[in-house]
Amino acid sequence: MGLIAREIEREGIPTVSLSIVREVTEKVPPPRALFLHFPFGHALGEPGAVNQQLTVLYLAFRLLFEADRPGTIRDSQLRWKSETYAPTDWEAFRRLGPAE
Amino acid sequence: MISERWKNRILARVFTAFPSLAAQWGKRLEMHGGGIPWAVPAKPLQEAVIALVTTGGVQLTSQTPFDMTDPNGDPTFREVPVYTPRERLAITHDYYDHRDAEKDLNLVFPVERLKEMVGAKALGTLHRTAFSFMGHIDGPHLKTLREKSAPEVAKKLAEAKVDYALLVPA
Repeated sequence: MGLIAREIEREGIPTVSLSIVREVTEKVPPPRALFLHFPFGHALGEPGAVNQQLTVLYLAFRLLFEADRPGTIRDSQLRWKSETYAPTDWEAFRRLGPAE
Repeated sequence: MISERWKNRILARVFTAFPSLAAQWGKRLEMHGGGIPWAVPAKPLQEAVIALVTTGGVQLTSQTPFDMTDPNGDPTFREVPVYTPRERLAITHDYYDHRDAEKDLNLVFPVERLKEMVGAKALGTLHRTAFSFMGHIDGPHLKTLREKSAPEVAKKLAEAKVDYALLVPA
């Protein structure tokens, strides 16, 4: 994952990666990674958990704009299953962009 | 006698059930430090074209499956149109437990969520082609990935003038 992200970024395209095994991500850090304490095969969360999946995407895209150094690995602080996920705040999504 | 592929699938279920084993495995991997490239995001998300890249082994049922017989994995990639009907998509990957991802492909290939973001005007456009790898690549195939497959995908994304890429692991 890290190797692929780096090649895409090398072409001038900013990337954000999800990470589910922090120890692996630390060995090949991509430019920006959001770490999730989720099991293999569940990077977005649980099947059918739309609010959870959109929360993961919101945090990932926020990191895309907030990270300020290559190799950033941010802990999402989300917990597997035990979290209650609020409906998507679309206004917050629409505000995501480069810092002014 | 149990086949190599079934052995890998059973191990994948064990690793999924016990994430600490995955962490131990990760600690033994080779470090790829060095310079990490950096491009500065310039466009608001709601105006941007996003490309999806997965290492979940997602592919069209009509495409040649990823090679599950090579213990070092398969460093090739598949181009997957994001508007492909679910029944024409499959997962070929023995190294993670994808029973939940089969139920909801968004877990490793979140095209439905990204399309909802486009519909809500939170995201400009989803690039029409997603790029799919399998994530269990080792040995000599790492060089192929680094020097051939990944740069090829990167060039395709640059030629398509994609603004950002989201990478989702399995």
